[in-house]
Amino acid sequence: MHRKWKITALLALVLSMGCGGAGAAEFSLNNNDFLNWLFDFQRTNGVKPVTDKQYQEECGACHFAYQPGLLPAKSWEALLTDRALRDHFGVNAELDDDTLKVIRDYAISNSAEKSWYKRSRKIAAATEHGPTPLRITGLRYIVRTHHDIPEKMITGNKDVKSLSFCDKCHTQAAKGIYDADTVNIPHYPNWDGWFNKP
Amino acid sequence: MEYSIKVVIAVAGICLAIFSGGVYADTAAGNAVLPPAAGFYSNNAQFLRSGQLNSSSYLLAANDGNPAQSQAGVTPDAQAMKFEPPLISERKVHQYLGLGTVLFAGLTMLAAPGESEGAVQTAPRQTSGTTHTRLARTTAALAAATVITGLLFHWNDFHLDDGFSDPDNQHVMLAGTGAMLMLYAVNKSAKSSVPTSHAGIAELGAALMLVGIKLTW
Repeated sequence: MHRKWKITALLALVLSMGCGGAGAAEFSLNNNDFLNWLFDFQRTNGVKPVTDKQYQEECGACHFAYQPGLLPAKSWEALLTDRALRDHFGVNAELDDDTLKVIRDYAISNSAEKSWYKRSRKIAAATEHGPTPLRITGLRYIVRTHHDIPEKMITGNKDVKSLSFCDKCHTQAAKGIYDADTVNIPHYPNWDGWFNKP
Repeated sequence: MEYSIKVVIAVAGICLAIFSGGVYADTAAGNAVLPPAAGFYSNNAQFLRSGQLNSSSYLLAANDGNPAQSQAGVTPDAQAMKFEPPLISERKVHQYLGLGTVLFAGLTMLAAPGESEGAVQTAPRQTSGTTHTRLARTTAALAAATVITGLLFHWNDFHLDDGFSDPDNQHVMLAGTGAMLMLYAVNKSAKSSVPTSHAGIAELGAALMLVGIKLTW
């Protein structure tokens, strides 16, 4: 009798977590709250995908719309100002005031330290102290995870050219998924093979 | 007989719950309210090629000091569509082993022999050959394999200088400690000819492993 109750309780718990987590999956795309994360079975080992259409349209018009969770709030505060956008890495990317406000607010409210996604938490922890990083490719974490990849596969690869083009190799970058299993470096299908390691 | 049916039902229930959550989550992620990036770039490329816009004001804002020449509009979307992440990889082996360990730890707990109050033990304590001991040994083997594959395939994710707040470091510490506790509990019980308290240690180990998995899930 005692064991029967144990089994029933465990099954009920697992089933409720499964259903609750599944139900919360969609909801969690708009919420960073701890409880949603805790009972969410959706994988959150990347960064939160971009959910704001205006952010996606404005940033994605010129380059890959980097997820706000790839930088801490202090970086977005420094990058998304009128003055900074006039010289946005060598390009004039000025926006009207209303659009800038929407994009800036979205980026700050979804920045690395406000996200429960694993890679965002790693970035937040690594950038908590020290100077404000302005380049995603300059983050210690990003540099470290890419340092094993030979130059010929990135800068020497005509279909990649720079680490900045995340989506050239990270086939699910738009979904915020950056794990190694989803990487497909153009012209190097066996990039992760033992014989390719430097 | 009745007991083995219970175990089968429990396993089926756990699998169903996991798969229902996983499948729904995948669908939800796929239906996220965002336009497909490839479509954006393609439309943008057509716009640029049509020459309606002065391309100098539409340069790619590369996030490094060396903006590539007009890469906008050229994404390996066809290649991305063709690419299918492998079903089995080094990292996924570690993932499946970890999940398997937790699942088997749960089954081991369910298969634990009941304690009858006031009963006097006459027969020698069984430390092998029962469902509970077999499941416990399988769990211990899976836990050890999980730790070994983690060390082999995720070594580069673990950096002491990132501190305890780093999720990968937390994963290593919690899941590693959990695995060690489970191994200790199995070893402690297997070597004892009299009833010994090991359930608490093993359950704590499984719980730590579960928390470790969740932190990097």
